[in-house]
Amino acid sequence: MSAVAMPMAAMGVTVLVAVLRNATPIIFAALGGLISDLAGSINVALEGLMLIAAFFGVIVSVHAAQWFPGLAPWMLPWLGCLAGLAMALVLAAVLALFHLELGADLIVAGIAINLLAAGLTVFLLVAIVGDKGSTAGLNSPSLPSLRMPGLAGLPLLDLLFNGEDGRGQHVLIYAALAGVAAVALFLSRTRWGTWIRAVGENRDAALAAGIPVKRMQYTALLLSGLLAGLGGIYLSMGYLTLFQANMTAGRGFLALAAIFLGRRRPAGTFAAAVLFGATASMAAWLGARHIDTQLVYMLPPLVTIAALVVAGARRRRS
Amino acid sequence: MSAAPPVAVEPSRGSAERLRLPLALAAALLAGFCITALVSREPLRAYLTLLTGALPEIDWSASGGWQVRRLVRFGSVIEDFITLSFLGLALAVPFRARQFSLGADGQMFLAALAACAVSLALGGPWYRVLPAAAGAAMLTGFAWGLIPGLLKVRYQANEIVTTLMLNLVAVQFYQWIITGYLRDRGAGYLVTPALPAAALWPNLMPHTHVTLMLLLVPAAAAAVQLLLARTTLGYEIRAVGAAPAFARQAGMPVTRAVTLSMALGGVFAGLAGLHLSNALLQRLPVDLTPGLGYDGLVVALLARSEPKSVPLAAFFYAWLRTGALAMERSTDVSREMVLVIEALIILFIVADRLVPPGLPKALRRLWHRSGAGAEAA
Repeated sequence: MSAVAMPMAAMGVTVLVAVLRNATPIIFAALGGLISDLAGSINVALEGLMLIAAFFGVIVSVHAAQWFPGLAPWMLPWLGCLAGLAMALVLAAVLALFHLELGADLIVAGIAINLLAAGLTVFLLVAIVGDKGSTAGLNSPSLPSLRMPGLAGLPLLDLLFNGEDGRGQHVLIYAALAGVAAVALFLSRTRWGTWIRAVGENRDAALAAGIPVKRMQYTALLLSGLLAGLGGIYLSMGYLTLFQANMTAGRGFLALAAIFLGRRRPAGTFAAAVLFGATASMAAWLGARHIDTQLVYMLPPLVTIAALVVAGARRRRS
Repeated sequence: MSAAPPVAVEPSRGSAERLRLPLALAAALLAGFCITALVSREPLRAYLTLLTGALPEIDWSASGGWQVRRLVRFGSVIEDFITLSFLGLALAVPFRARQFSLGADGQMFLAALAACAVSLALGGPWYRVLPAAAGAAMLTGFAWGLIPGLLKVRYQANEIVTTLMLNLVAVQFYQWIITGYLRDRGAGYLVTPALPAAALWPNLMPHTHVTLMLLLVPAAAAAVQLLLARTTLGYEIRAVGAAPAFARQAGMPVTRAVTLSMALGGVFAGLAGLHLSNALLQRLPVDLTPGLGYDGLVVALLARSEPKSVPLAAFFYAWLRTGALAMERSTDVSREMVLVIEALIILFIVADRLVPPGLPKALRRLWHRSGAGAEAA
């Protein structure tokens, strides 16, 4: 490799990693939203589900040390992660219960869940931490990063897998990439995945074919809660190591848009989420070069709208 | 994909319906109390402040005679009431056509910006600058509401996604213009210059920002009521909302009703923006909090999209929000409690089967029996 190509390639790798870091929370939430969307239940509550998981992940991993003094320190963040996921599942279950048992409109109920999460997290933040903005004073842990050994001779791969500081990439970034494959396999190769898609395609036909429709709808909504929860955990225990009020900042809605943009397929949804991650990275990059960040932050929503228009125009022509 | 029709936003009557609203409110307030009790040392006092904090205090003393205190706080109820009424109407109009347009937030931001910019640029006497600002705000709201409508009928673009995206764009645009072009260099923070006095609505209550715009609220509600009940367009909007297939079969201009319902909703979001810039804030800060549009959603749902009921729902909600501020100041419970209550109210209102179908009948029987018993005694 020439002397010029090497730094260029290194920069490319650094950019790629930065994009993936920004995309990871959106990938998780979008995968969750995709599953429930394919089951015919649009989940507008992704934002709130992420937020609640992010909050409880931090709070429980900090307080677990007092509750279980015998626990090894490396287990604390994992305990927090579990607690955050559990809370996201509970909230998703509330949404499913209100929609499927009490006949609540899914979209309105989803917006209510977002409000509930936004209010409850700040309310509990004040009650537990005594701060309205963030848990910055708590010194909360992060989930570990994974280090690939034996890459010392391959500088580019070493940079890709272990980063500039050599500490490796966050475990949830790997999990997000694995999640894309897992969700794609789940939807196309497993019986439940097929059933979920059948329910979304035609509820009555699925019912007539003997598919347990309601159980599939519950499964889809709970899975979306779990995946969105992972996205939230990454935000507060990876991307940052603290909880901030409203730290999801619209990522749940971007995830919703990524599903539409990706034409409701796992690979497309992943690509759209990475695109949004790239715009976020670009905003940071342009912001450092005195280009108004507001203009850059308009890009993801505008791209989404443009993509919906293109998809609609194509549908009309065919 | 098509969005699920918002079942619960249709006005409907019946005994189960009539019971649902008070039951939902009671259940939400009760659940909120339970959560408060978990974290607060004085939940009862906190809740009492939440419910009565907005009340003006009237007391009598021999020296001073009758005195009304805390009027400023009541003034903030009215200020909130005005904004929330317009936002409630902004969501109620598209809801009646079963369009889940959530773009009120973005429409309001851009309308406030337009009203502010026009007021600053035009100047002059009030009879020139005020109508111009109002026109700019309403037109901006209309245009920003028209976009998702057109995208929906032309390209079947889901209006929830497009309006949420347009909200993000609008907020960034608002911040960009204020940071870059409308900034008052003399101020210590990012804010537009103060609007000229001629551009402000005449004040009605001293020490508050309650202005003549208050009178626009009943006028706006009546206008929506008239539009829906008495005009062809209103009939088409309602027909499209109630039975889209029928409306299409009957040859109604469905696409026109869909687009115009969203755009007309935007006009009222525009009025909310006008209230923010030319009455309430009088200069626009860059960090105006997004999310007011969701409060408008609660109002529209509480009012069941019935324009007559929107002001009532807005007043109730404004009352609760002001009480929450009082609660935060005087107890250990933060005002975000209201967000939780708001969410619970929405959940309980849209839960169709929350009231068991047999309950109204049983209650009526109980009522008659006790009434009959009282007469016999």
